[in-house]
Amino acid sequence: MTGEDLAIRAERLSKRYGDTRAADAVDLAIPRGQFFGLLGPNGAGKTSLIHMLSTLIRPSAGDAWVAGHSVRREKLAVRASIGVVFQEPALDRALTAAQNLRFAGLLNDLPRAEIKKRSDELLALFGLADHRDRPAGALSGGMRRALDIARGVIHRPQILFLDEPTIGLDVPNRRAIWRHIARLRAEFGITVFLTTHHLEEAENCDEVAFLAAGRIVHGGRPNVLIERFGKYVVEAESDRPKELAERLEARLGEALIEADGVQFRCNHEPADLGALHAELAASARAVRWRRPNLNDVFLWVNRPAQSQRRAA
Amino acid sequence: MTGVVRPTLAVLEREVIKLLAQRGRLLSALVRPLLWLLVIGAGFGALQGGDAGNRYQSFLVPGVLGLTALFGGILAALSTVYDRESGVMRMLVIAPLQPHWIVLAKTLGATLAAIVQSVLLLLVLGALGYLSGRVSIPLFALGLLGTAFACASLGMLVAAWSRNLDNYATMMNLVIFPVFFLSGSLYPVQQLPQILEVVTTLNPYTHGVDLLKHSGIGAAGSQQADFSIGFNIAMLLGFSALALGVACLRFSRADANESLVHRLARKHTD
Repeated sequence: MTGEDLAIRAERLSKRYGDTRAADAVDLAIPRGQFFGLLGPNGAGKTSLIHMLSTLIRPSAGDAWVAGHSVRREKLAVRASIGVVFQEPALDRALTAAQNLRFAGLLNDLPRAEIKKRSDELLALFGLADHRDRPAGALSGGMRRALDIARGVIHRPQILFLDEPTIGLDVPNRRAIWRHIARLRAEFGITVFLTTHHLEEAENCDEVAFLAAGRIVHGGRPNVLIERFGKYVVEAESDRPKELAERLEARLGEALIEADGVQFRCNHEPADLGALHAELAASARAVRWRRPNLNDVFLWVNRPAQSQRRAA
Repeated sequence: MTGVVRPTLAVLEREVIKLLAQRGRLLSALVRPLLWLLVIGAGFGALQGGDAGNRYQSFLVPGVLGLTALFGGILAALSTVYDRESGVMRMLVIAPLQPHWIVLAKTLGATLAAIVQSVLLLLVLGALGYLSGRVSIPLFALGLLGTAFACASLGMLVAAWSRNLDNYATMMNLVIFPVFFLSGSLYPVQQLPQILEVVTTLNPYTHGVDLLKHSGIGAAGSQQADFSIGFNIAMLLGFSALALGVACLRFSRADANESLVHRLARKHTD
């Protein structure tokens, strides 16, 4: 793929705060129009990476090109081509929904008539048409998030950064936010760079990358990652997970020990589950098997070092 | 590349919307100077007795107009501190604008807020019969604009070093009141003890009020300006340029932005 087709390219992008490496030589190549998900535990460096790519903080080393512009040398050109939705809303709570969009539009140097047209469009698209004259501070959390996303795309950016867009929202509101994002992608072909904790949401991404301690440790298409992970997951609840793991690992597959149980990643149909139940009646409270999902991939990538060593 | 006119207008527009929505802020912008003029002015005037007493109230007119511009400009500029805590600064820092434009636009917004409040007071003073019939409008406009801009610049300078709203109240007592009392608002500068006279002469706000005195806005013969118009303008311009230059440098430093961004991120993971 040539550089022209890439919405975001990063080369050894790094950020240090004292001895902490928030981002450590991160390489990225995200094609235009892609829905990209950056996943990782708290403190993995997701937000630092988004802030470097959106020119809010300066990389300590390396460089990145967003919409073809260097985040080091062409900050304003980068900012003109991106929209950013922060973890906390970038809205003036005292201004109405329409006034917030107008303020954001003017800051991006849009003509007033165009702002009016686009904000009507966006308010309708996100179900906010009836709330246009209410102060942002009086909107519900879900509506405010929707308004914040509308604020982030009023200037029709090529790339939209979403830092945990559904954090703090209930399920119906989360689903509404995903519908809005899907509509934006369908309508404007916008590239979306997402960070999230809700991994089931990331399963809709074209591609995901797992970040741990500032490094990308794993990544690919979600369905491929899940397929490669294994065919089944067997979970056993027990007070003595370590013992169970040692006993069954050879038979079931690699084990991940948790506080109140153990998970096995099986690459074959689990043996007769009924027999397993009977065998474990004394040592396990419950035994289940299921299909793996992105949560499992995530858990395994971020499993404690001890259990990784054991597996090796 | 993105222009700067529309973004600047956006900041000005937001300032006016907010000002008009905050009735209490407008009301106190009127009540504060009227207290000085009608209560303190009358009280100190009574000490002098008779005609001299009336003259003292008239003497205060430029001072209370300046006071309104001082509070209006500094408080509006200090709202930048509040913007930093709320979402507005996030909107500004992600816009395709150079950081110094954000500082300039905010300063112009604060200047506008100060002027709107002073003009409202002017209308009230006119209705109460405190204005002179022989005012030089160009000089008055220059005085008001210069005072408002210098106060807004001072506010931006203070805002650049204020981390949160806690020391905002401290700033009122450490900045606004000294600036007001160490000026020619309440007494002629020439009659002050020498050390105070020096400090007062160096205070840019003194020169804003002095320009208003030059314009003859109070009733005739009540006020003698302390300095020349040229010196007034030079002091106001010189101070504003210096204050804004320093504020721009401070806001443009990458780490100022970075600490903002850092704090936002940290607030969330806490």
